[in-house]
Amino acid sequence: MLAALIRKEFLALSRDLHGLGALFLMPLVFIVVMSLALKNAYNPPADTLAYAIAQHDDGPAATRFVERWQEEHGTPRPLPADWRVALSSQGGQGAPNLKYVLVLEAGFSDALSAPQAPSAPPLRLVVEPGMDGGVQRVTAAQLSALVGEVRALFLMERFMGLAPAGAADIGRFIASERSGGPQGLRLSAVQHNVPAWLIFGMFFVVAAMANLLVQERSDGTLARLSALGVPDGVQVAAKAIPYFIVNGVQAALMLAVGVWLMPLLGGDGLSLAGIDPLALLLVLAAISAAAVGLALCVACLVRSHAQANAIGPVINILMAAVGGIMVPTFIMPAAMQRVAALSPMNWALDGLVGVLVRGGGPAQVLPQAAILFAFAAAMLAAARLLFSRKTLS
Amino acid sequence: MPSMLEVRDLAYRYPGAAEPALAGVSLAAGRGAVLGLLGPNGAGKTTLISHLSGQLPIQQGAIAIDGVSLAEVRRQAPTRIAVAPQEYAFFPALTVAENLACFAGAARLHGAKARERAAACLAFAQLERFAGQRAARLSGGLKRRLNLAIALLPEPELIVLDEPTVGVDPQSRAFLLDAVRRLADGGAAIIYTSHYMDEIEAIADRVVIVDHGRVLRDAPLADLHAEGARQLRVEADGLERTALAAVLAPFGTAREEGSGVVVDLLADGDPAPALAAVAAAGGTVRRARYGECSLEQLFLDLTQRTLRD
Repeated sequence: MLAALIRKEFLALSRDLHGLGALFLMPLVFIVVMSLALKNAYNPPADTLAYAIAQHDDGPAATRFVERWQEEHGTPRPLPADWRVALSSQGGQGAPNLKYVLVLEAGFSDALSAPQAPSAPPLRLVVEPGMDGGVQRVTAAQLSALVGEVRALFLMERFMGLAPAGAADIGRFIASERSGGPQGLRLSAVQHNVPAWLIFGMFFVVAAMANLLVQERSDGTLARLSALGVPDGVQVAAKAIPYFIVNGVQAALMLAVGVWLMPLLGGDGLSLAGIDPLALLLVLAAISAAAVGLALCVACLVRSHAQANAIGPVINILMAAVGGIMVPTFIMPAAMQRVAALSPMNWALDGLVGVLVRGGGPAQVLPQAAILFAFAAAMLAAARLLFSRKTLS
Repeated sequence: MPSMLEVRDLAYRYPGAAEPALAGVSLAAGRGAVLGLLGPNGAGKTTLISHLSGQLPIQQGAIAIDGVSLAEVRRQAPTRIAVAPQEYAFFPALTVAENLACFAGAARLHGAKARERAAACLAFAQLERFAGQRAARLSGGLKRRLNLAIALLPEPELIVLDEPTVGVDPQSRAFLLDAVRRLADGGAAIIYTSHYMDEIEAIADRVVIVDHGRVLRDAPLADLHAEGARQLRVEADGLERTALAAVLAPFGTAREEGSGVVVDLLADGDPAPALAAVAAAGGTVRRARYGECSLEQLFLDLTQRTLRD
């Protein structure tokens, strides 16, 4: 009985091109587009931006400073005569596409070699109006570090007579590393986007299942199956199991896109190196259970295709917006972070990031998996009740 | 013939409804016979069918199959009763054969038995040529035949057909009526609802007319026809309809209807004196009918002509 009904779901789904597109293609497109679009969000291009230098000081410190900056950031573009105009008219006809200009004021070398603070900044960073704030801050920080390095070098030479090799090299004083996570993992947009949009895609089943139940309710097939003695639980299971499998295929496809397709498209590849497969399966199963449970509950509540097409996507988008899928939770205000913690997509994202980014094992992601399974159980129980009361009436 | 299905004093009120949908309905259906169930929209037919298919709980009264309560029968062998609903209750994305296989599985038929029943129902509904065709692409008549074929999969003993010929061409309609008759002749108990009186007259052995949740008439079809045996319908020129009714009143119960007058003649009434009285009063009989009453006429008499929707 159950096998016949599950087979029917797969047959019907395989012939529904729109449904297949919504379930498989849209999430894939999301992952590709968002990963490419946000590629630089996790790897700010501060080292490769086009820049020019307005050098009003040719002293030794200024010369040293410019040499060191070029080592890290490449050769500067020629400075246009009207560089301020060029900066503010990015993309305009004839604009050299400059992102920033370093202005080394007259007296730069003297200021860096003097023990006292300068009366006015001898170096100015002038960026184009549309530059990302983060990139501007990174560039300013790099400038500060280099100013410190050159200043230290010249002060040591001035007061100590010489500077031992590398004594002023600030890079030698700082080490930066991530604690934990899979070995060799380099955090990239795809590493964050695949989990986020994978979850979003898995919850697409809400609208698909809601429409399916509305259709079968209106054409009388659900009532006919009940009249044949098919228990409500079997009917609910016959919907849940196929979509649980659909979720599994979605997850496999989206991970495959991250691993293999994204590098071919010029993006970063998703790394599964060092990932605990058991933890990954546990979290994916929990997410799918939650998505299918919610989908069935919504499907039993809606009464028309219009409701199914409106409520399903709205729930998805709200959960995604609140849950950290569209906007990372860590940049939200504290109050919104508390709201985010109520979204099943947030629990799912925590779990999946725990596996894919932090390299967690089953024990580490068990709390997230448990709450998702509990949510799924509550939704399925509600769906089972609603199915009898609402679906067949 | 002993009744297979017995419905006794069945009453049901939907939550929040002012009036009951069923108010003490009693009827019976026997094996090998077709029970025609007639009623205007909202009469309670669908509520009655919903009880038989197990979708509504019994609030008051009882339903028994061969003396066993419906609830028990549905627990033990739900497929003894089949309902072919008004809707095309199958999966449009699946082919005819896939639909039959799916519903066979749902009816707990497996393996060779499932294949045998699917083939038999395919043949019964003459759908073999369309086995590989998607249900969504079938014509209205073929969809009705598939609806019927699915109902027959588990070899039900009681088959409820809810307006099975809506929207089909005359050929498909004739085929479906023949098929229903064959099912009854094969020993099944059939409950057949329709708004087409000629269909009921063509295949029903017994007719139940319901309205406002009550049974208005429950009798063999022949008896219902005979009820009109003493009915005289007269249309005449030269006399106003009111005057014509007054002339005919001494011969029975007269009422104005349409362009003429209907008289239920007194016992052993003879229509000849009544017609002679019309002539004597100066009227010329333009049209007269006596000795028969169509089911539609009886239905309208019982349920009134007021629109229900």
